[in-house]
This record gives sequence, structure tokens and C-alpha cells, in this order.
Amino acid sequence: MLKPLSKLIFAGALVAGVSLHASAITVGYITKSATNSGWIMINQGAADAAKEENAKLVTVGPAFQGDLASQLEVFENLAAQGVDAIGVAPVDSSGIAPAVQAAMEAGIAVVAIDTGVSGAEVTSFVATDNEAVAKIQGQEAAKLVADGDKIIYVTGNQAQSTGQERRDGFMAGFKAERPNSEILLVPTEWNSDQAQAGVEALLNNHSDVKMVVNAWDGGTMGAKAALENLGFGPGDVKLVGFDGAADAIVAMDEGWVQVDTAQMLYQMGYQGIKTAIRAAGNMTVEKRIDTGTFLVTPETSAEYKALIGM
Amino acid sequence: MPDTHTSSRFAMALANYFKKDWSGALLAVVILAVAIELVTDGKPFFHPSNLMTILNNSAALGVIAGGMTLVILTAGIDLSVGSVMGMTAALVGYVASYWGFPPLLAILFGLTLGLSIGLIHGTLVARFGMPAFIVTLAGLSIWRGTGHLTTGAQASPKLDGVFDYFGRYNPLTPLRNGYKEGTLPDFLMPLGEWVDANWIEYFRTFQMSLVIFLLFFVVLGLIVKHTKLGRYIYAIGSNEQGSRQAGIDVRRYKVLAYVICSMTAAFAALMFLGRAPYAKSDYGQMWELDAIAAVVIGGTSLFGGRGSILGTFLGVILLKLISNGLTLAQLNTFWQMVVLGMIILLAVGIDIVRQSATPRKIKQVLLAVAAASLLFASIHPVSQFVSAQISLFEHNSVSSLVSQGVNLAPTQAKRVLDPEAMVGVQSIVSATWMAGVSLLVMTIAGFAALARPGRQTSVAMMGVTVLAGVVLTLGGWPGVPVLALGAVALLGSLYTDTLFEQARQH
Repeated sequence: MLKPLSKLIFAGALVAGVSLHASAITVGYITKSATNSGWIMINQGAADAAKEENAKLVTVGPAFQGDLASQLEVFENLAAQGVDAIGVAPVDSSGIAPAVQAAMEAGIAVVAIDTGVSGAEVTSFVATDNEAVAKIQGQEAAKLVADGDKIIYVTGNQAQSTGQERRDGFMAGFKAERPNSEILLVPTEWNSDQAQAGVEALLNNHSDVKMVVNAWDGGTMGAKAALENLGFGPGDVKLVGFDGAADAIVAMDEGWVQVDTAQMLYQMGYQGIKTAIRAAGNMTVEKRIDTGTFLVTPETSAEYKALIGM
Repeated sequence: MPDTHTSSRFAMALANYFKKDWSGALLAVVILAVAIELVTDGKPFFHPSNLMTILNNSAALGVIAGGMTLVILTAGIDLSVGSVMGMTAALVGYVASYWGFPPLLAILFGLTLGLSIGLIHGTLVARFGMPAFIVTLAGLSIWRGTGHLTTGAQASPKLDGVFDYFGRYNPLTPLRNGYKEGTLPDFLMPLGEWVDANWIEYFRTFQMSLVIFLLFFVVLGLIVKHTKLGRYIYAIGSNEQGSRQAGIDVRRYKVLAYVICSMTAAFAALMFLGRAPYAKSDYGQMWELDAIAAVVIGGTSLFGGRGSILGTFLGVILLKLISNGLTLAQLNTFWQMVVLGMIILLAVGIDIVRQSATPRKIKQVLLAVAAASLLFASIHPVSQFVSAQISLFEHNSVSSLVSQGVNLAPTQAKRVLDPEAMVGVQSIVSATWMAGVSLLVMTIAGFAALARPGRQTSVAMMGVTVLAGVVLTLGGWPGVPVLALGAVALLGSLYTDTLFEQARQH
């Protein structure tokens, strides 16, 4: 668990060491959402990185989460304005590819943040490996239940690669350990009220569910509300989160959440924009930067909170 | 002959039933509920506690749809309700937790917010003559943005317990607690014991959400039916010019409709907070579409003047029944979207046929039900066969691309099967191709039959349905009960003419 973390610190030190020259560089930053609590942390990291480097950061987001058309439009606008680099969190891996390719050919450095681009080269890809982290989530979740116990998995948007990878990773990790457990699914489009209503319906219908695992922490909070609505107390049904969002960590302190696989969200935004600035200054950058993961449990939550400044 | 007498009374009852605006929605609710019951395991779908869960989670949207009905009855529309709901939820939670407003004041603040927004929308529409679509489209954007701006789009941490009385609070809790602590008066003890013994099974989900939801619709229904406001709203919607000449203060009542609608959105925000984990400004996204869909499914005309509150209630139930039922049935997400759209079309289709009731159209709807039930019944073998066949096509095509030296992304190259998967896919194809192809042909034939409704078509389709049942039984696939539904629809189509004849004679 500490291994990816130490790598991350090392990478951070590397980045910090060469941050002297960049000045008056303009970086476009296209985020996926300005209202999702996880994305707020990523965006904060991006803003801080630009501030440190004295670079100008132009932040734009889509009208609503998952709106590819508006993201393409802002991407092309930024490229046309002649920014030095673009940090982008694609809402659709292949949908954004033609625009990325055009920008790269025009000499603009493109750094993909959180979600990769398929079908076009990028300067660098800064993200956690969703599938690998979700696999850890599955293995850790398996330890909380016996083989044959019924569980619920709250999915993210299954039309997006992030949602697919988290689900695939979790299934692989969990099923290897607990092959006889039945997994009921609650489909969502990253929407916490869908998670709440779906979990409530399933829990009410299947009284033998032992655990609810979530593809992101908005789902975790929705699932927690569903448990409260049905009169369950903390720990009656196990909750497993993904993201390490602040409210889920608070819920962990209250005994609701047992495990949360945290992405280093702030680092993702911070390193993404740092990398973009470096690339714009013609420095060599790594093609793939893994921002690491942190396994938050009641034992490690204090350490995690110190790390993210909670 | 007594027999004819009974059947003609049946025909009359049927004709009367279909005169109601809400008949399409009710029929769709019943058909869907039976279909879900047949395909789910676990607790029965019709279990009271499951039905109460559906009502609980319908409550907030339902209240909004009720307000929307009034606006649509005046031939208007309100696209801003989702944003108003989200902003109110965020701000009420915000002032309650960060400004130290006592809960009652926060609640009053929220309702006042709804009132003011309604006044603004209503005034712009009724006094300045701006199109309702444009005014409320602007509202959709403005109020969402305001909600994000004022709260920084951050969640407010904790909600006061008072909000629970709008949501998850169970009115039977004192009774149960009193029994458990032995503080109940003696004559209530047996009742308390009974409630406690059946708590998980029945009473746990009896919550304020559904109590408020039902009360709200009873009150709104009475208002619309028995007050001047209700009568004028219908009058304005069916003929605005005429209403003005008849001396109705059209502007005033139109403003009132928008005020009520925005206030229901604000009230729904309070109800939603009673069930939600925290207060946040991105609540209620796309709710305007759900609310409008519920109203229209319930038989209310988008052109105003025709519709009912009961219809909207059924429309809301239908929408939430779909999402609850499809989750319980564990249907694939993408299928859920398709099925949702088809059921909405079915409900509105029934409504349209109902209005222009000719025997031909009714037969077409019944045939469509039969064809749809064929489709749902054969989903298992057909989808297995089709997806395995598609994997084979993909494998062949992608392999040839690779051999031509085309550079593919890893996700695209995944479509090449390894030898083990190849064997699996081939065995699925060989096991399902006969059933898959024949059921696919039967389903297509079922939809084609819509073009020529008639006695022979119905008889032929009956034969096809029986055949499909045989194929499914031989293959050991579920779905025969769904076919029974189609068979009932086909029987109905055989007697449509007779029923019409009898209804005309009386």
C-alpha cells in the first residue's frame, strides 16, 4: 500500500525540483465537473499547481457531467486561442481523440487527467489505474463478508470507461475471493439519488444483503442514506467506498464505512497541470504517471486525513 | 339472454373506463407490475413494504409533478422545477447548517424562495406575455447557477432531525418504542406488540414521505375539482380568449399556477432532504423531464385544458415502478433505458388510441402488446444468440484488420477472442441458434402484424405465441408467463368488434 505512495512522493519531488523556469505559460484545463466533490479536489490541485508555477490556468467545464459535445467545443476553442498546453479529463475516451490529435499536431502539449484517450497519442497520462485500484477494493471488500453472502454493487455510468473499469476491477478482485456470493447491481449515471433509491429497493426486497460496495463516494453517501431510511445503524450492513472523498471519511469515523480505496485526487490535478506546464516548457515528461492509491480503513484514516489535509 | 346481458354490461364498463383521462396510465401500471412480479425473485414485488418503498421514493418527484399538472393544464410549461428544487435544497441546508437558522425558519425561507420564483416566472409569462417555455428555460439555468454560486457547489454537512419529518420519519415509531419500553397505555399494548412483531416485514417503510405524498394528492385533487381555481385553470387552458371574455382574471390565475408549481418544487426539496445524505445544489437534475413525462403519461394534454391529478399520480407511480422494478429484476442498464422508453410509448399510445377510439386502433394496440410480450419473453435466448453471433463477427472483422496492419487501441483489440472464449461463443451459438432465429422471426412477425389488424391476424398471432411458448419451454428458458399476457391481449383483440357493437347499442 505504501509502495505506490512512495513512488508518488518521489514523482512529486522530481516535479518540484524542475519548477524554476516556467513563466507566463498559459495552460487550458478542461475538467469533467465543477460540482462533484471528488472533482472539486482535483480542480483544487490543478489550481494550486498553476499558482506555484506562475502559469495562467484557464479552467473550463462541461455544461453537465458527461456532455461530450460541449467538451469538444471548449477543447477546440482553447486550441484556437493558442494555449501552450491543455490538461483534459475526457468525458469520452474515444470521442475526444480527433480533437486531441489535431492539437498535438499543432504543437500543443496535451495531458490526459483521470481518464485516458484512446485512438490518439497524448503527451502524458496522469491518473490512478482505475481497474487496479478497483481490484484492490474488491479484494478488501471480500474480507468483510463470508463466501456465499449476498452483496450489492452500485455501478458508475457503464457507458464511460471509468465506470466500466471500476466495475470490471471490482468484479475480478471480489469474485476471485468469494466465488459463491451473489452480486446485485444498482445502475447509476454517477448520481447519488439513483444510488439511494436503488439500494433502498434492493435492501428492502432482499433482507439477507450483507454489504454495499460503491463505484464512487457519491454512491457511498446515497447508500448510507438508504440504510438510514430503512432504520439500519452503522455497521449493520457493511459499506465500501471508492475515492476517499471527505464526507465518506467522516462516515467512516462514525462507523458506517469500513473500507474506502482513495485515489489521490488532489495529486491527480496537481501533477496533471505540473506535467502540462513542464511539457509546454519543452521538458521531457513521463508518458504515464500513476498518482497512486491509499487504502483507507478505520486504522489508517488518521494517516489519510493528515495526507489530504482534512 | 343473460350471457349477452353480462357481456354488454362488461362492454359498458370498459367503455366508461376508457373515457377516463388516466385509463392508459393505470393499464400500463397494472401490466408492468404483473410483468415485474413474474420475473423477480426475493420478496414478492407486490409486497406492501416494497410498494411503500416505491411510494417513498416517488414522493418528492410526485409533489413536483402535481404542481406541474396545474401549469400544463393552463397550456403552459415549467422547465425550471428541477433547478428550483436543487437550489432550495442546497440553500435550506446551507442556512440551517452554516448560518445557524433554526429549522423552522430555514423551512419558511425555502418556501418563500419557491413563492418568489413562482411570482417572477408567472409575472413574466402572464403580464409580459413572454413564452412560458423560454421564461422557465432561463429559470432552469439561472436557479441552478445561483444554487451552485451561493453554496460553492459544496454539500452542507449535516441536516437537523426536523427534516426527517418530511421524509424518513416513521409515524409508528412512538408506538413501537412505547411498546418496547412498556410505557404504552394498556389498551394500546396489543397494537404495539403487533406493530413491533411485523416491523421489518411491513411497517418499517411506512414513512412520512408516502403519507405526505398521498395527502398532497388528495388535497390537490379536491382543490382542482371543487374550487374556482381548479375550474378556471381548465377554462384558461382550453380557451384563454373565451375565459377572458367570460370575466375570468386570466393573468391572476396563470400567475397563481406558476406560484403553486414553484412552491411544490420548494416543498419537494424539503421532502427530498428528509431522505438524502446531505444538502447539495446538484439535486434534481433532469427532474423537469421526469415531471413532465409523468404528467403526460397520466393523460394530461400538453395543449392544456384536459387532464387529471389522478392521472399524474399514476404517471409518477409508473415512472418509479419502472426504475424500481427493473432494478429488482436486475436488468442490464442499457436495456433499462430501452424498456423505459418503450413503456412510456405504450402508456401514451394507449391514451391516443383511447381518444380516437376506433376498433382498428384498439386492435393495433392489443397486437402491439402481444408483440412486445413476444419480445420480452424471448429476450434470454435471442440476446444470448445475437450477442454470441456478434462477438464472432467482431472477432473475424477485427482479426482481418489486425492482419492488414491497422493500429488499434487496446479497448478495440479486446474484441479479438482467445481460443478458449472462441469455444465458449461457438457453443452458445450452436445451442441457441435455432431458438434464437425462430423467436426473432416470430417477434418481427408480431410487429409486422400491426399493419393488418383483423380476426385472421389475431388467430395467426395466437398460433405464433403458442409456438414461442413451446420453443421457450423446450429450451428451458423463462418467459412463458409473459407470453400469457400477450395471449390475453390477443383474445381481447378477437372480441373488440363485439364489444364495440354492444357498447353502441346501449
